Amino acid sequence: MNAGNSIGPDPPSFFDEAVDERGRTRDHYRPVQEWFDRLSLDQVKALEEQRNESFRRQGITFTVYGGDEGTERTWPMDLFPRIIDAEEWAMLERGLIQRVTALNRFLDDIYTGEQAILRDGIVPRRLITSCTGFEREAMNVAVPLGARCLVAGIDLVRDADGGYRVLEDNLRNPSGISYVIENRAAMTKLLPAAFSDLAVRSVDHYGRSLLRALRSIAPPACGDDPTVAVLTPGIFNSAYFEHAFLARSMGVELVEGRDLVVDDHVVAMRTTRGLERVDVIYRRIDDHFLDPVVFNAQSTLGVPGLLAAARAGTVSVANSVGNGVGDDKAVYAYVPEMIRYYLDEEPVIPNADTYLLWEEDQRAEVLERLDQLVVKPVAESGGYGIVIGPKATDAELAEARSKILDDPRNWIAQEVVNLSRLPAWAGDQFAPRHIDLRPFVLCGEQVEVIPGGLTRVALREGSLIVNSSQGGGSKDTWVLGNSEQPASGEQR
Amino acid sequence: MRLDICYRTKLAFDAPVRESQNELRACPVTDERQQLLSYRVTVEPSARLLSFTDYWGTRVDHFGVTESHADLEVVAEASVETQDPPAHSAAPAMESLGDPDFLNDHDEFLKPTRHTDWDEAMARQARELAAADGSNVVGAVTELNEFVGGRLAYEPGATEIGEPITEVLAKGAGVCQDYAHLGVALCRSIGIPARYVSGYLFSSNERTGSIGGGLVRVQTHAWFEAAVPELGWLALDPTNRLAVGHQHVKIGHGRDYDDVPPLRGVYSGPGAPELDASVEIRRMDPSRQPTSLMQPSLLASVKAPRTREQQQQQQQ
Repeated sequence: MNAGNSIGPDPPSFFDEAVDERGRTRDHYRPVQEWFDRLSLDQVKALEEQRNESFRRQGITFTVYGGDEGTERTWPMDLFPRIIDAEEWAMLERGLIQRVTALNRFLDDIYTGEQAILRDGIVPRRLITSCTGFEREAMNVAVPLGARCLVAGIDLVRDADGGYRVLEDNLRNPSGISYVIENRAAMTKLLPAAFSDLAVRSVDHYGRSLLRALRSIAPPACGDDPTVAVLTPGIFNSAYFEHAFLARSMGVELVEGRDLVVDDHVVAMRTTRGLERVDVIYRRIDDHFLDPVVFNAQSTLGVPGLLAAARAGTVSVANSVGNGVGDDKAVYAYVPEMIRYYLDEEPVIPNADTYLLWEEDQRAEVLERLDQLVVKPVAESGGYGIVIGPKATDAELAEARSKILDDPRNWIAQEVVNLSRLPAWAGDQFAPRHIDLRPFVLCGEQVEVIPGGLTRVALREGSLIVNSSQGGGSKDTWVLGNSEQPASGEQR
Repeated sequence: MRLDICYRTKLAFDAPVRESQNELRACPVTDERQQLLSYRVTVEPSARLLSFTDYWGTRVDHFGVTESHADLEVVAEASVETQDPPAHSAAPAMESLGDPDFLNDHDEFLKPTRHTDWDEAMARQARELAAADGSNVVGAVTELNEFVGGRLAYEPGATEIGEPITEVLAKGAGVCQDYAHLGVALCRSIGIPARYVSGYLFSSNERTGSIGGGLVRVQTHAWFEAAVPELGWLALDPTNRLAVGHQHVKIGHGRDYDDVPPLRGVYSGPGAPELDASVEIRRMDPSRQPTSLMQPSLLASVKAPRTREQQQQQQQ
């Protein structure tokens, strides 16, 4: 099949991942491109069918809230993989470690430090105190190693020149890693031949790495064999599949709030053998539902007294409460400054060009150019609430304008990043579709980036919205190893 | 003035409950105007206390009672030395509130909250009152305090904690929390940073009654503080229409009541609590009798019915 890289008369305002400006397949894509070129239409359709059947059988689904149709959908993985060569990945890895290290320093400075970055006027105090994710209840709750963000998902895009940009940070409960691992498992079954001759770096050690990171933040007093549990909101949560997947891959208990009890500031889980002490909790419940004593008193999802136990230092909670202060989209604009301030380094991966709408002059400029910019609410995730100027109707723009004027702190604007493109199956042929990348970073004793990450793809033609909750799909992401690095092929 | 305070709250459940988890904020703070001399908390059934200072600088005592219990009693005993605030002659112009550094430092005390959400009519009223006194910040705050004291009638039971301030205004009656929230909201509505204060007031009147010998039996009290450029925080008691002085004992402050509730917590079980709360304050220097001032009622937060909300968890 022709992989459909359109190099038409249109100016190449998008970066094409797989082909260069002259239409030649880039080196690192060549073996895969050739392999796909040999497939017939029927063969592709058969593979698609096989993939759907496999995901259905395994129950690999995700939930879309607020949709018209049935909300449970089979995970949409596109067959054509995204490939990153070793050199490029080394740069990304360096940039991601740098960024998440600085963000952890920032979070620790704010919650348990001297707030030096505010005192020194690098970040305005009111930016923090006006942040909905700033949880005063978490003040002075210390976290071993300062690993407040133990799992980070950093969203990257490539601009028209192919340069990587950080589009947003996800420091609270980033989801998607289970799909990275399931995508790889599916691809190795469906297209084993496509992997031949390529040293694709493994992703299936994630469970081990996560467990190691979680154990590294256990309270020092709990000894050599800390007990770890995954805390889920329950089966009705859209990411429940992932919570169960992670507990299984770490070999630890999956618990709900009602399975845990706090006695004398110590957390224990109810088991068939009686109460068993828990030392580290990987929680996938939002801050405001985590502990009804200090947050929403009506919530039944959380564990009463959990935050006091964390404060007492008898249990460690990952990710920490209050990380929203680090991934607020207005705070995001200051991350390059944080990197300079805490690490004395220049950012390896720049931000997308961002306007802070509470700054009067920036707001004025943005309101002039609203139809050319992307406007985002600062504290949302999952693509909700975004207005893309060039695609918005007049009514949508007018609404965005009035929302901005109503509460400027709640909005940022960014230049449209013309997300890079990669072929994706469009029903009868491969056609270019826009993609982004969410690598996952683990911070325990060491900072580790899982090779690749979740490549999301906007399956609708021309669309720039890649969120699965907004009709996006995904791709397996291959990081090519150099000769010394183990490849997943060797491990199978 | 040296005061010994005994705060006591008893929750009597009509059916036994378990796994109660609570936070107590009853400890007088040490600041420029008062000094804590001693503090002791006892809980029955006995429980281990985790004591810490929260974001706002208030001491919190956290405790849990896991086993089944029908009664829960919390007693906090404090000794504190208080003074009047120093005299001042500050009268900064309203324009000084717009200083960027001042705004940067006080942002969180300028926003509406659940209990201090004003409407345009309130802001207009506040602007008129502020303008009446020469448009300086101290004058404006004093006017607003007077206004609140005159606008509301003191009436225990007229409102519940959590009632929107606009409804309190419509009723024209409330208790000290309502007075304090209204004062805070009016200040914020014209750009004066303000915060809610929880504390004790050494006073007696016909409602609370003096037990004699410099001992009063009261409830916790609430007032507010406004940030004045060059001066700092100016404390005013709208319930009693006066400036805060040596008979006021501050526990702590926050954006509104929710940041500094005397007691909050949750428990498991069908039992509903009956609340019995009281504060006894004894003056340790008997030369002066308590002044006669109004006292409010305390409403501790108790658990509401539980609901399901798994779907509300935001996915990133």
